[in-house]
Amino acid sequence: MSDAGMAVVKPEMKSYIWLQTADGSIQQVEEEVAMFCPMICREIIQTGMGSSKNYAISLPQRVNPSILGLILDYCRFHQVPGRSNKERKTFDEKFIRMDTKRLCELTSAADSLQLKPLVDLTSRALARIIEGKTPEEIRETFHLPDDLTEEEKLEPLRNITDDPRIRLLNRLYARKRKELKEREKLKDVEVEEEHADDRSVEDLLSFINGEDGDSKGCRTSKNKKKNRRRKDQSKDSSSNNSNENQKKESDTLPSACPNDEVSDILAASPSRTSNFQDFDYADIDDDDLDPCKDGGT
Amino acid sequence: MDMELDRISSLPGHVVDQILSVLPIRDAVRTSNLSRKWRYKWSHIPHLVFDTQCISITSEDQTIVKNKLVNIIDHVLLLHNGPIYKFKLSHRDLLGVSDIDRWILHLSRGSTKEFVLEIWKGQRYKLPSCLYSFENLIHLELFNCLLKPPLAFKGFRNLKSLDLQHVTLAQEVFENLISSCSLLERLTLMNFDGFTHLKINAPNLQFFDVGGIFDDVSFENTFLLTLVSIGLYVNGINDRNVSRGSSSKLLRFFVNLPHIRRLEIQSYFIKYLAIGKIPSRLPKSCVDLNYISIRINFNDLEENSVAFCLLRSCPNLQEIEMLGRPEEQAAVGPLADFWGDDHWKCLFGQLRLVKIAGISGIGSELDCIKFLLSNSPVLEQMTVKPASSEGGWELVKELLRFRRASIHAEVIYLEP
Repeated sequence: MSDAGMAVVKPEMKSYIWLQTADGSIQQVEEEVAMFCPMICREIIQTGMGSSKNYAISLPQRVNPSILGLILDYCRFHQVPGRSNKERKTFDEKFIRMDTKRLCELTSAADSLQLKPLVDLTSRALARIIEGKTPEEIRETFHLPDDLTEEEKLEPLRNITDDPRIRLLNRLYARKRKELKEREKLKDVEVEEEHADDRSVEDLLSFINGEDGDSKGCRTSKNKKKNRRRKDQSKDSSSNNSNENQKKESDTLPSACPNDEVSDILAASPSRTSNFQDFDYADIDDDDLDPCKDGGT
Repeated sequence: MDMELDRISSLPGHVVDQILSVLPIRDAVRTSNLSRKWRYKWSHIPHLVFDTQCISITSEDQTIVKNKLVNIIDHVLLLHNGPIYKFKLSHRDLLGVSDIDRWILHLSRGSTKEFVLEIWKGQRYKLPSCLYSFENLIHLELFNCLLKPPLAFKGFRNLKSLDLQHVTLAQEVFENLISSCSLLERLTLMNFDGFTHLKINAPNLQFFDVGGIFDDVSFENTFLLTLVSIGLYVNGINDRNVSRGSSSKLLRFFVNLPHIRRLEIQSYFIKYLAIGKIPSRLPKSCVDLNYISIRINFNDLEENSVAFCLLRSCPNLQEIEMLGRPEEQAAVGPLADFWGDDHWKCLFGQLRLVKIAGISGIGSELDCIKFLLSNSPVLEQMTVKPASSEGGWELVKELLRFRRASIHAEVIYLEP
């Protein structure tokens, strides 16, 4: 934190930038660290502020002193050019370990300072927290009010303009609700077993038989193999010309997978989904269904 | 108080979009049940990804699975509210052709910028004509599709990245597609049919990655192309070309690649380059080329000539990789003294790393290694990996003898 605020050039010829948070407190920070934040950088360049305590740059309201400290730690590490990607990643993983409340504050603050890499990092962390949890668990983690009535949870998502498509959807939902009510009458126990909260969303997502699929049952399928780099014929070249045929798999033979010599190169799946593969393999599909079975490619 | 503690609901919209976009679609949509504020948050997410990881449907019956999937996608698309920046569909149980047509039509009314479609099973899926009206498309990725654009198609004006694998399209369609997408920077083509002449006219192309069967490749206007990786998956040159006494493919290949930086010659592509007269050196050196990888049969004279010509013409190489084709080595007798000739002096002033693999320790391979070692004064490391462990010891004995121009060079023998 800052002390006697005089704009004296320190002996080691470092220059500092002065920042003021919404609560009035002022900090000074090494210039190169502060410049890592686009918003601060712009302020310095455009308005010339920040060079002394009296002209400290006012930070957005969402940035409080302790969060600012965190952000500056992040900037201080990453602004050093020589670091390897691995080092950066390791730092990020450690950095992101904090309670949910702080994580949200950090996201908000980073966004207001336009520090996109940090926003990306915190968003992914928040997504990881949300993923796979039931609505109750999420509400508890983030202190969300459970302010939807049971009926509303089943209600279709109404569009203000009352789109005819939505009306159709409403009719379909009404039918579903009726079914559920009837089921209730017949067997109370069964209905209780279902998570009330999940019902409407499950309706949404599995219209036909309203089955309550567990999100943890998501199976990480093997990525489809598309050769990128090693296009060499160390795999059998005999199947070079039979690409077409290999595509036509019989539907009734999901396990049909003749000599698969495909190399293990990823299909271009978005890297973000690949971060969250902590699923159990609930349905063990055969290890096959790799349509891309071209040997020679 | 709950209001105090609930930090996440008040995050700015674009941040919430970002968080929800990263979630599998199921989790994202489920957030609509969290609280009043969260009811419609998911409906603005800009990325929609429907793949086998995101949607799990447990059922034995293929029809049920397919129907469920179709319903899910229908629902999400209908309830979604806002622009869809990226759409990816890649589910292995998806078979409904008319459903996909419908979804593409829906997307074509918006401003989708990235579109990825992977058809896992069945025949090539013929893309509906409305796909070609995606004005804002920046990235297009297709797997197992058939492209037949309408005659009026003038290309994707904003397309920067194109990835086509297991596709069918006619020759003119291909040429028009490439030349009309003038902003194209990255092109990947794997396993294609319907066209055999790779005519690449792309002024902004930087990255070109191709693997398949073709007769000819020619570049035009490709002065920005810096990374090329080519694999020709068929052994045996088309006799037509040879008998026509065609001009040197090698020369033609490089004439429009002045700034190439990385080159990978894979599968049998080197045989293609051996067609026509093989010069001893390219007229203009590839001064920017710093990495080369060549799959080569060390027993074949023509292939060796091509490799040699290339190496002589790239003075600034920093890394070389040469991979033998083990199944071919025994076919022809070993090549006598090609690389060993003392006339071929060459200086690799920047060469630091060499990788040799798939060799069996015969004459011309060793000559090549010797040649590289004695012409690379700043070499730091060479790794040698034989194709099999037979003759490994002999190989090592030979390697031990070779003179090295660089005192820092390590020659490392790797187990096969």
